Amino acid sequence: MKKAVVINLSPKKNGTSVMLGNLCLGFLNEREHQGAIVHLYPHLKDLQQVLSAIEGADTVIMVGPCYINTYPADTVYLLEEIIKHKTILHGQNLYGIIQGGMPYVHTHESGLKMLKLFAKEGNVNYKGGFVIGLGAMLNGQPLDKLPNGKKANRFFNEFLNHVANGENSTAALYRNAQLKLPGIVYWGMANRMNKMIDKGLKEKGIDVTQPSPYFKN
Amino acid sequence: MITILSDDTSQNIGKRVYEGLCERDAEVEYISLDDVNMGPCFSCGGCTDKTYGKCIHRDDGDWIFGSLVRSNIMVWVTPVTWGSYSFKTKRVLDKCALIGDRHYYLKNRELVKKMADNIQGFYGIGIKDHCREEEKQAFENLVAENINIMSVAGNAYVLDNDASEKIIMKIVEEISR
Repeated sequence: MKKAVVINLSPKKNGTSVMLGNLCLGFLNEREHQGAIVHLYPHLKDLQQVLSAIEGADTVIMVGPCYINTYPADTVYLLEEIIKHKTILHGQNLYGIIQGGMPYVHTHESGLKMLKLFAKEGNVNYKGGFVIGLGAMLNGQPLDKLPNGKKANRFFNEFLNHVANGENSTAALYRNAQLKLPGIVYWGMANRMNKMIDKGLKEKGIDVTQPSPYFKN
Repeated sequence: MITILSDDTSQNIGKRVYEGLCERDAEVEYISLDDVNMGPCFSCGGCTDKTYGKCIHRDDGDWIFGSLVRSNIMVWVTPVTWGSYSFKTKRVLDKCALIGDRHYYLKNRELVKKMADNIQGFYGIGIKDHCREEEKQAFENLVAENINIMSVAGNAYVLDNDASEKIIMKIVEEISR
């Protein structure tokens, strides 16, 4: 039985990244993989448990949110620590999953490029990844809650099939899953979301026009 | 006002760009990220619910974002790390939404965000000796995406540690323009 580890690169333990990580585990467990999820953030002061989990795995799946167009800073820290402990790498298959608020894959793709470049420096085989847009809107709910839920589910399952078989997964899969709408619809979405933001802040008694509190510093 | 944020652990290009801008009498502030204490963004929503527009965690972000929010141009100087920013640089960048506009806008028929009104420029200078084309492109693409989502002007450069004075001055000229 092959061993897989999902590394949750999100500070949240119940958000969209973990939901996607659990989808991976469920899929892989049904296909003769023994899987576990390891959360990065509780181990930031001592990464030993995360590094050991990677060392003990045949397949590593890194799943996390997109912060300003790529994975959060602490993913860079984790990768740097892995390279410092290079002996834990023994030809594992590496896959990445990145999810972010914007619906476009190009907004988030840099995270996967980072994993690909990282893999060239260590004894690990980067085999592709998957980008999920509108991840913030999901907030941990299942993929079928997305406007493109049907497509997203179908192509994400194809990606997981590649993971289970240790195959390469190309960018075409997640690009096909992307929500594609005309600009006018996005304009309408922006207006609707802005009204929701303003309404939510007003309900909290927050004046959205107030200057940044950092002007006081 | 130009603010340079530079991870100086393995490069001195940031200081050279700063000196070049000073020679041109630009108003410029230099922030070395070497000893900066910046915690991670926990995506806790505290900057919306508890302390609107401000991180609920007290660290060097208090004064760094105080500087950035007064800037017109941000210049990020970082070792290129697998086509991305260094860990120290990214810790600061991760929290930049604090000084951004919460609303959504449309640009080239896509949704984007905006920074505070006065922030109009974003420049990313990546430092890596003999950087391979694939990694260089990855860094340039990442900075281009940052520029796009923030709805600002800007550019990306990848330089060797011993970049010539001519190259530095060309970047200085573009930033100060």
